[in-house]
Amino acid sequence: MIKHPHTVTFTLNGELKTFITRPDEKLLDLLRREGYKGTKYGCGQGTCGACTVLMDGRAIYSCLLFAMQAENRDVRTIESVGTHDKPSEFQQELIDGAAVQCGFCIPGMIMSAEALMQAEDTYPDDIVREYMDGNLCRCTGYEKIWGALRRVLDRKEGNREQGTGATHP
Amino acid sequence: MSANPTANFKQVNHSVRKVDAVQLALGKPSYVADFAPRDALIVKMLWSPHPHAKIVSLDVSAAEKMPGVKAVLWHGNVPRIAHCTAGQGFPEPSPYDTFMFDTKVRFVGDRVAAVAAETEEQAKAALAKIKVVYEKLTPVFSIDEAMADGAPIIHDEPEAHVPIPIPYEPKKNLVAKVGCETGDFEKGMKEADFTFDDVYETPYAQHCPIEPYVSLAHIDSAGRIVITTSTQVPFHCRRIVAQTLGIPVQKIRVIKPRIGGGFGSKQEILLEDIVAMFALRTGRPCFWQFTREENFRTGRTRHPIRVRIRAGIKKDGTITAIGMDCWNNTGAYGGHGLTVVSCCGSKVLPLYRCENIHFLGKVYYTNLPVGGAYRGFGATQAFFGMESTMDKMAEAIGMDPLRLRQLNHIKSGEGSPVFAALGEGKEGVPMTVGSCALGECIEKGAAEIGWQNRTDWRTKSGRYRRGIGMACLMQGSSIPHIDMGGASIKMNEDGSFNLLVGATDLGTGSDTVLAQIAAEELCTATDKMIVYSSDTDMTPFDVGAYASSTTYLSGEAARKAAADAKRQILHTGAEMLNLPEDQVVCKDAHVQSKDGKLKVSYGDISCYSLYSKNQYQIIGTASHFTQKSPPPFAAHFAEIEVDTWTGNVKVLKYVSTIDCGTAINPALCEGQTEGGTLNGISYALTEQYLFKNGRMTNASFTDYHIFSMRDRAPIKAIIVPSYEDTGPFGAKSVSEICINGPAPVFGNAIYNATGARLNEFPFTPEKVLQAIQAVKR
Amino acid sequence: MKLCEFIRPASLSAARDNLRELGRKGMILAGGTALHFMQDHTPVTAVDITRLGLSYIKHEGDFYDIGATTPLADIQRYRAPRWALHEICRRISTHQIRNVSTIGGNVCRVFPWADLPVILLAMDARMVIYSGQDEELPADEYFATQPAKRFLDGNVLRSVKVPALMAHHGFGSIKVVRTQASFALVTAAAFLELDGATIKSARIAAGSAIPFPRRLPSVEAALVGREAVGEVFKEAAAKAGQDAPWRGREGMSPEYSRHLAEVTLFDALERAATFARGRTE
Repeated sequence: MIKHPHTVTFTLNGELKTFITRPDEKLLDLLRREGYKGTKYGCGQGTCGACTVLMDGRAIYSCLLFAMQAENRDVRTIESVGTHDKPSEFQQELIDGAAVQCGFCIPGMIMSAEALMQAEDTYPDDIVREYMDGNLCRCTGYEKIWGALRRVLDRKEGNREQGTGATHP
Repeated sequence: MSANPTANFKQVNHSVRKVDAVQLALGKPSYVADFAPRDALIVKMLWSPHPHAKIVSLDVSAAEKMPGVKAVLWHGNVPRIAHCTAGQGFPEPSPYDTFMFDTKVRFVGDRVAAVAAETEEQAKAALAKIKVVYEKLTPVFSIDEAMADGAPIIHDEPEAHVPIPIPYEPKKNLVAKVGCETGDFEKGMKEADFTFDDVYETPYAQHCPIEPYVSLAHIDSAGRIVITTSTQVPFHCRRIVAQTLGIPVQKIRVIKPRIGGGFGSKQEILLEDIVAMFALRTGRPCFWQFTREENFRTGRTRHPIRVRIRAGIKKDGTITAIGMDCWNNTGAYGGHGLTVVSCCGSKVLPLYRCENIHFLGKVYYTNLPVGGAYRGFGATQAFFGMESTMDKMAEAIGMDPLRLRQLNHIKSGEGSPVFAALGEGKEGVPMTVGSCALGECIEKGAAEIGWQNRTDWRTKSGRYRRGIGMACLMQGSSIPHIDMGGASIKMNEDGSFNLLVGATDLGTGSDTVLAQIAAEELCTATDKMIVYSSDTDMTPFDVGAYASSTTYLSGEAARKAAADAKRQILHTGAEMLNLPEDQVVCKDAHVQSKDGKLKVSYGDISCYSLYSKNQYQIIGTASHFTQKSPPPFAAHFAEIEVDTWTGNVKVLKYVSTIDCGTAINPALCEGQTEGGTLNGISYALTEQYLFKNGRMTNASFTDYHIFSMRDRAPIKAIIVPSYEDTGPFGAKSVSEICINGPAPVFGNAIYNATGARLNEFPFTPEKVLQAIQAVKR
Repeated sequence: MKLCEFIRPASLSAARDNLRELGRKGMILAGGTALHFMQDHTPVTAVDITRLGLSYIKHEGDFYDIGATTPLADIQRYRAPRWALHEICRRISTHQIRNVSTIGGNVCRVFPWADLPVILLAMDARMVIYSGQDEELPADEYFATQPAKRFLDGNVLRSVKVPALMAHHGFGSIKVVRTQASFALVTAAAFLELDGATIKSARIAAGSAIPFPRRLPSVEAALVGREAVGEVFKEAAAKAGQDAPWRGREGMSPEYSRHLAEVTLFDALERAATFARGRTE
């Protein structure tokens, strides 16, 4: 049987966890074997984005990251975003906006959007496109995903403007 | 039919939430790979590195002894049963030219031997220990080479045959031949003021579902094989696996969970026989997932087709003759070869009125990747030539190409002799067009793109030149007299229903659409439907998701099953209300008296029927096959900008109109249209298979170039309603037609921008630049 | 390449010691993306250098000092007056790759299609190589051959120093692709030093479709001393064929490749001229 002489410790969806691993194990494979099935294998080559997770708030391809590289980092997967009772704002827009077709790309899309919303204060179209360019979808033509995301971002920008207006009249 | 039959719809024609959207958006385990147990053996295949070779010897003994290896499969230890991997009606209109493993390899990516081991690494290590001696044979890399006298014979095995009586001459590499003549084509050409004769070439493409091909098999406690697989055709899968393994259908259960996209690629049995065989041999769960590279090399592709169009037109715009000759490269195996080329004619030629039609389609083997079903299915390839020709004809007679199409396109109540002449493996079915809103599609699309501002290319100058192009399209909805779908629907205590369908939702939203149809018929809400698709042990038969059939065919099955259940609900409701059955109606999940004063809820009816009196299960069931294949119609428009220095084409705006009859779920119809259109856009512009000695050199997303959100062209989808009397609540189909547009639209737009006419795509910058440089002003 | 061990040295000098000791059995790891594509199965130890404080961008006088493990995304997002590196970084691969792929990874082993070497050649950047002490190499020397050779004995790239552009400097880079995330068909970069309307000096470089990123001396020669206008740019760009063998990529012919390079150089020069005149973004 395979030896697992190495361990890796990182915060996964808010909980500090230690996993037995091997230096050549990819984070994607570790996550999936540990039951985090929302992170998908689509290409294994860092091109399709179905395996996107957040590491220290940044979107990364878990198929192109050795699990050991996650040591002491903060990793978040789709399992940390939304529940049946309370989907995230973007999830709700995707659901209501008919943006989920086969759905295979969707967890990755959501994680990229999470990174965008965490890192940026304003959301001009070209910046949004740059954050979302690593997630391929073959079903939707991106129209409805784009629309759903834009609605969320516009609302955030609107809220911020309103909020700013209230505190600094 | 009332004036506006859609006005009173409460479930259909509404954009209700997709039934699986929440679970998928939350990333809950849903797809095949999510169900692979941790102790599953991992399957890996040794693929042929040669395009055409005999396996002189194959030694797996070292591989079998490698650590972790539980079984090795190769031609020496599996049944040799000729079959066809294409999931089609039975018996298939495709040759039985495939074996689980053969002593010959016919393309780079053909099967040689497979290993099942405890880990992927062990499986790969074992593959490296398989010793194969090949005798290389002369490969055939083009239709011309395949047709040539004395060409190498790709299928020389004695078992190769077609199970139905159609032409098949493997010694000439000929897979199929189909044709039809109506009127007098030569006479029509003579009557024309202008004639045209051009050859168009359409390229290979891969479907690129984000979920690759993936299958899982295990042996259940009763000793049966359970295959969980990413398929569009679970029932065909069961039949073909039974055939290939030489075991009874009864021994196999096929489960289709959520599917991560298919687009035709998964209408093929490429993994299931292997995982099933391994499960039988090892007694262990066996899991096989293609890498992305394998998806490109071994997965199915769009058939490249050479289309010669000859046509004649009079100065007044009367089309006097259309001749279409197609040469279809089916690659190393013949699945879907005949049916795809048939659809070149049957889904394209009826679009314009013309008395004199010639059609001939031939299909040839080559030692290149294998063609299969791909959204559009032949129509995509043929519309490129047809719609390019329409623009050429319009220019010759000095007519607006939009006007020429308006003058000639088929309308409601009209037929075409082609419908009767061309079927899929047999003659077609005579048909007159019921619903047709193509005229309105053209008008709305033209307004949206700004057609009235379109100017002649000769007026344009400068480095960047804009052009507007259009194309009209049709497809079909199901294969009449061949396809069948079944549905059953049973009622629960709380008034919810289990809707069990064989129809295969592969991400399209068909579960939702079928639930809406059933709910409409049952006068309840769509969210009262618990949909289960598809499981060969649990759900009725359905041919599967292909041929734009699910809404039209399986939708009607669901409606009929719902109607059956509704009769039982009315019966029991009337019994509970002490009213005659003809005095009660269903409304808002209740059975009530006609005046509405007495009523009983579905939940109470179900409880009554299950527990109280005259107990029985309220369950409706129905099957449906179709008499017609009513075409959806579409008019596509685009404005592009050509960089005349580099030849690069940029899409500024794309308008995709669609007449799909009643849009059962308008938002999902838009989604289908937008997605298929963008797939067509990158097919026309950037996707290509590059080969070196028959080996694809760009088998990755990095090098194959499908569009990302950053590349995406803005697409405006416009649904133009019509009402198809033969479809469920007026529906036709929506999924395939949209992919047919971009290639001809861009061809015409590039011409409108620059005067350059391209007869082959993808419209790579180099090709466009060469064409521009060849333009004489 | 098969990772069998994974170590995280505490300092740059420790990393160098580890790498020297391991020799061919060691593999430096920053973003690590390229490692997934190495086909051989030699067992190696990964030496992770991402926790050594080498991820930074500092403006120091007349240059920017960019730490070797700075991800492309950080360079893409960085803003400073007359900063120009973000232009190419936003065009490299995808968001997720830009988040892990580092400037060091892009210049320590140079692939023919790499974009950053082209830009760094045109900008006259300097690479700081640590071998117990720091040594600065100008881009011309550093990229003269495959730089990977310089790191075989355990040396480590510490940082890349990029000159800050002055008011009379113009810079433009263009990457031509089939789709946004794909490798370049041609990448061209132009640096112009202007004296009024006249080009005082020029550094022009290109990559992809040629065997290795390089400067184009004939193009540069055709610019110097001439006016910075389109006609001159066109004439100069037409010399691209003299400087490098242009190869077909992705089904393109060599002839088209050269033609595309000429147009791309022209566009890069136009962009550089616009920059010199005061580009806003």
